[in-house]
Amino acid sequence: MRSKIVLALGLVGVPLLLRNLYVILFNLPDEMEQGPVYRIFYYHLPAFFAATLCYTTAMVCSILYLVKKNARYDAIAMACTEVGLAFAAVNLITGMFWGRISWGIWWAWDPRLTWALICWLVYFGYLMLRKAIDDPTERAKNASVLSIFAYVSVAITWKAIEWWRTQHPGPVLSIRTGEQRIDPAMEQMLYVNTLALATLAAIFVITRLRQEEVQREIDALRRYAHAL
Amino acid sequence: MRTLRHAAAIAWKDLRSELRTKESLNSSLSFSVVVLLLLAMAFDTGSEIVTDYGGGILWLAFAFSSTLIVNRSFAREMPNDCIDVLVASPASGASLFLGKAVAAFALQSGIQLICLPIFGVFYNVTWWRNPWQLLGVLLLGGWAMACIGTVFSALTVNLRLRELMLPMLMYPMLVPALLASMTLTNYLLMPGAMPPDFAQWLRLLIGFDIIFTTLALALVETILVR
Amino acid sequence: MDERNITFMFYGLAVAWGILAVYAVLLGLREQDLKKQLETLKKMVEEKK
Repeated sequence: MRSKIVLALGLVGVPLLLRNLYVILFNLPDEMEQGPVYRIFYYHLPAFFAATLCYTTAMVCSILYLVKKNARYDAIAMACTEVGLAFAAVNLITGMFWGRISWGIWWAWDPRLTWALICWLVYFGYLMLRKAIDDPTERAKNASVLSIFAYVSVAITWKAIEWWRTQHPGPVLSIRTGEQRIDPAMEQMLYVNTLALATLAAIFVITRLRQEEVQREIDALRRYAHAL
Repeated sequence: MRTLRHAAAIAWKDLRSELRTKESLNSSLSFSVVVLLLLAMAFDTGSEIVTDYGGGILWLAFAFSSTLIVNRSFAREMPNDCIDVLVASPASGASLFLGKAVAAFALQSGIQLICLPIFGVFYNVTWWRNPWQLLGVLLLGGWAMACIGTVFSALTVNLRLRELMLPMLMYPMLVPALLASMTLTNYLLMPGAMPPDFAQWLRLLIGFDIIFTTLALALVETILVR
Repeated sequence: MDERNITFMFYGLAVAWGILAVYAVLLGLREQDLKKQLETLKKMVEEKK
């Protein structure tokens, strides 16, 4: 059943990703001030959305775990965090390439960048913490608490561009600003590519989740074999 | 009310045992002095711009020394399974956390007050320009470190690499508070009027304290009960 | 626009695709590793019985 879902998502997601790449490279015009390099933005922002989606799901599942004590929620939270880190890495590093051209530097210590990096480090710490605890219940409980704490820094990243006047460009999407700041065709592509990357993220999360379940089966078998 | 009374009892117990053994106090104090000394080697302390980064140096030293204190917060209870007794006692998780955090906060504040004049001497800084505001920033930033540190100390107390994991988890989470404290301290070391974004950083620091104290009080029970 | 602009666009896109591809490969490798472990363990348990 689950492999069918992955297959279906893959059949939608991968062609969509390829089509988007084609449209981004060949159909959409260069941006007037920035030139071709602005196309990085079509991955930069959707990757951020995908990562935020993953972090948010992880936070919700962590709360659910603490309430219901069902190990499944903990596994989902873990899978989401790991995939979220991959997408956040895409967000950070594509941003660096864009910044090298637009600002002339790879990294600016501007609130938005700083906070995005902090998020990455905090969630990396989450994975480290999981590795360091052997007992599954203890691990699930402590990791869930950490995930809830970590989400505060995600919330700060989200609001950072409103709180501080930053070097990082402000919000552009019309659903957030309430006005049309960028060309509708470009905005539409941002949404479509967000959808494509989110589909990819879903595939990753489901795959990772299955691996976590196999891992638990292995651990159980190990204990069993030990007891024999 | 009961929560506060229990918290006070725990804080008092922690402080007393620390003041008798001085196990983390000594190491923490000497470590922060060493950090101040080393950073003085790295920077040109004779120049005027020391007020531009003085706050940063001061808070780095505080942050390093604070992990040494909160590291012991729960580790102290591990021998003889004292932690289980504390959890089983009528004191709630929240009061246990509050007591531990207050004890760590008091020890930390003591170290900060000793470090401040040393910082002034090493770096040639007139730090008493705005003493009351500076004290306020020290208290707010110190509480942020004590609060986050105590929660994470509880989270990592059973780990193999506790001494390493605690700072690794704690520092990224603390960055907003540290950044605000550093900037505010820099502003307070500077002569002249306060820059316009002083209030904004202060809001960030206060907001950080409120959010994380609330979260910690709400979640600490789940961390402690096994 | 100069050439660097377009080169960096390609770098940026390559990095985006690259990171995701690397993650996918890592997932695949782990999948294989886990399957192998599971099989060995199952065989071991069977033999011990």
